[in-house]
Amino acid sequence: MVLNLDTENRKTQNGNNCDDFDIEVKIPKSIFEKLKSIEALKARESQMCISGKDDSIPTCDKNSTPGIITQRSCVYGGARVVLMPITDAVHLVHGPVGCAACTWDIRGSKSTGDKLYKNGFTTDLQESDIVFGGEKKLYESILEVHKLYSPGAIFVYSTCVVGLIGDDIKAVCKQAEEATGCRVIPVQSEGFKSFNKSAGHKLACDAMLDYLIGTEEPEEEHPYSINIIGEFNVAGDLWGIIPLYEKMGVKVHTAITGDSTVKKVASAHRSKLNIVQCQKSSNYLAAQMQKKYGIPNLKVNFFGIDETTKSLRAVAEFFGDEEMIKKTEELIKSEVKNLRDEISEYKKDLAGSTVAIYSGAHKSWALVSAFGELDMEIIMSGTQNGKPEDYQKIREHVNEGTLIVDDASSMELVQLLKEYKPDILISGAKEKYLSLKSGVPHCDFNHDRITAFSGFQGFINFARVVHTAVMTPVWKLSRK
Amino acid sequence: MTEKKFAVINPCKICQPMGAIFALMGVKNSMPLIHGSHGCSTYMRFQLGRHFKEAVNVASTSMSEANAVLGGEENLKHAIRNVSRIYGPEIIGVTTSCLSETIGDDVEGIIRLFKKQNDDLPEIVPISTPSYKHTHVEGYDSTVKALVEHLATSSKPNSKLNVITGMVSPGDIAETKKLLLEMGIESIILTDTSESMDAPYDGEVSFVMSAGTTVEEIKDTANSFATISLCKHANSAAKFLHDAYGIKSVSPYLPIGLQSTDEFINELCKLTNKDIPEQITRERGKLIDAMIDAHQHNFGRKVAIYGDPDVVVGFTRFVLELGMIPSIVCTGSESKTFVEDIEAVTKDSKHKPVILAPGDLYDLHQEIKKSKVDLLIGNSYGSRIAGAENIPLIRMGFPIYDRVGAQRITCVGYTAGIRLVDTITNTILDRYFDEFGWALNEDTEVDHGDFESSNCIN
Repeated sequence: MVLNLDTENRKTQNGNNCDDFDIEVKIPKSIFEKLKSIEALKARESQMCISGKDDSIPTCDKNSTPGIITQRSCVYGGARVVLMPITDAVHLVHGPVGCAACTWDIRGSKSTGDKLYKNGFTTDLQESDIVFGGEKKLYESILEVHKLYSPGAIFVYSTCVVGLIGDDIKAVCKQAEEATGCRVIPVQSEGFKSFNKSAGHKLACDAMLDYLIGTEEPEEEHPYSINIIGEFNVAGDLWGIIPLYEKMGVKVHTAITGDSTVKKVASAHRSKLNIVQCQKSSNYLAAQMQKKYGIPNLKVNFFGIDETTKSLRAVAEFFGDEEMIKKTEELIKSEVKNLRDEISEYKKDLAGSTVAIYSGAHKSWALVSAFGELDMEIIMSGTQNGKPEDYQKIREHVNEGTLIVDDASSMELVQLLKEYKPDILISGAKEKYLSLKSGVPHCDFNHDRITAFSGFQGFINFARVVHTAVMTPVWKLSRK
Repeated sequence: MTEKKFAVINPCKICQPMGAIFALMGVKNSMPLIHGSHGCSTYMRFQLGRHFKEAVNVASTSMSEANAVLGGEENLKHAIRNVSRIYGPEIIGVTTSCLSETIGDDVEGIIRLFKKQNDDLPEIVPISTPSYKHTHVEGYDSTVKALVEHLATSSKPNSKLNVITGMVSPGDIAETKKLLLEMGIESIILTDTSESMDAPYDGEVSFVMSAGTTVEEIKDTANSFATISLCKHANSAAKFLHDAYGIKSVSPYLPIGLQSTDEFINELCKLTNKDIPEQITRERGKLIDAMIDAHQHNFGRKVAIYGDPDVVVGFTRFVLELGMIPSIVCTGSESKTFVEDIEAVTKDSKHKPVILAPGDLYDLHQEIKKSKVDLLIGNSYGSRIAGAENIPLIRMGFPIYDRVGAQRITCVGYTAGIRLVDTITNTILDRYFDEFGWALNEDTEVDHGDFESSNCIN
């Protein structure tokens, strides 16, 4: 069956049974009609592919074409999102005001304690600093914010212009650390360093590895202590995960970096196991911690009932403690018992609906299983910063016929939405209004999210949010 | 906590390219292009999108490490070529960033030559907006100036009035247009976001700006009979048109509240020799009526106002008219004009506000701790101060990301004044009075004795 472009009829035809929802997706020619004439954009066709036909993945991890409206951010942004959730740290942006002003408090990472991380600190470089260098101002600023807040640590981020004028932020940080006695950690995150903000994720992980992890001892040694790496507690996701492990008898030492403190991250090297949630930003950190401290790691996923269940069991099996395994099974039984009933009402309405994902690389495949639990079908998945291994992962997770797309521009995204008419787009804030203005319901899985989606309760929240987006009467009323 | 002087903590300003994009969003069929790395365009799209609740498209030259060393000329030309072909804009506004400014790309020269070599390109306006100088407000100002500088051409008089609105909301621009229409004045709005950033749903996404001031209109600004800048910090284009084409230029206060709107309407009358229409007089009377109805609740209440300089000045004057006390005023710019304007609008008042210019929200918070206020007026970033100090916040200015309707929040003109009086009064009632309108015991002390009422009734 060829994809039916009429959303209304498609639902009726397919009813609630998604088994016979067999889609043959083609990359619409119209998308390229506008782009084809342009020499620089010929490559775009190779940056999309359909899963299942052969082993191909889109070409990816390339420079964005100048002038195309990429959804990508910069290296500084990548570093900042990884480190920002450390709650008792000052995140001082060494650069002109815009870099700090535009990214201050934009990711909804929540905290049980300190709120210091939510402030926007910047050296606010002026023209004279660009001419004569900003090192002195940086030094004075560090001393000043230290005096004002006595933070757990001060992270200093370098921005584009700092890279150009050559401020030696490492030396300044060292000097300031000596003067203050507070950890002052340089993050060499000049925005232009790479077209892929993953480079920023890696820099952030390196900053933690070089300056933080292993510098303190934990207050207590627990035989079953773990770190949750790559979990940033957006909208309180972490709080749907920790209680589950605690009930199993596992001590969550810290997340890196959601709702964490400098001390907790600094003493994370004594934990017995690292579990890795966002495998885009944090696999590297887990691998390095294994190398440096011998901490093994497991890849986990707390999105959806099955994935959460698997992730709990994996940890219990890792520790191999009979009592824990028993407790885990009991926990899963009691948690999952009413869960399927609770989502069944949503499922009734959502079954057979189609989904497009355009988000961070991790989400582009990690959400697939959970949509299956709502009987929803992924027909398109893509990301702006994907590497070959990410697209390989998408291929492994999605059904045959799914469109996989790399670094789509805003126009391309809208054309894809118009051609494929998914019942919902899962993405972040930049795509939100592209989606809504095209008449495609939207679910924010990124910075601006206010609802926790992780763990069992989180999945009910997620089902509700998606249900709200798809079922709101406005879509029927707005139809032309 | 002590005084600080080096770092900025919780900025009350953004960088110049943000203001440039803001201005370009009011030009029909335009596309902003930031010459820098793509974080700049992405984060600004994010901020503007969540404020206006609209799809915002800003192109980038996607500069990388190699460009930082070798220069960004090739990227810039590529980007112009691609933006033209893919999005088909009528005009591209090329704004610089700290990156391209520092490596010293001759953006204007590159564009001039590239245009000469390619006759199929749209209008391209280079705009210098180094992020390490000034704020988004100056970025807006330079952009409007760059637009008229590059496009305005003198031909025959058009009997229109140029109106530079400054970084106000689409609702404010719509209100300004309504007033001009009622006065029977033909105008060219620089620049007009009233439709593009408050666009009706039609199932389509516009990649270039769907509405706004046309290129033809900008060209025609050199033929208008006068220019009026509603924001004193956005009058460079008016000055340019005056110097280059002898076009009369005036720059009154942003018309917020009674007196400033009076002055704006009077300026319009003077410029056009027209009388004030009955409808506008009625609106004015309704505003005074609303102020009378509200005065028992607002008089003597202390207010802290922060944000863009002209907006803060406008609100300072307005709250004085309501009998309130502007205790603290804060803006991110280091602006002499701002300080002079605050001093001028408060000159008859016994209450001299603490002026933070430049100030950030840290400074503002410290001042609020020193002398408690009853009400905050400013953007969403103040919500944490409001929470910490248990003071109500009326959201005004840019950005407003934690409430819906930022594009419709209006402060310009009498009608908006009426809504503002209601909003301010109801906010005070909600927070400081019980359901019967009796003042609550925990009420903060209201200063009734020390207020010199003559300052706000002329």
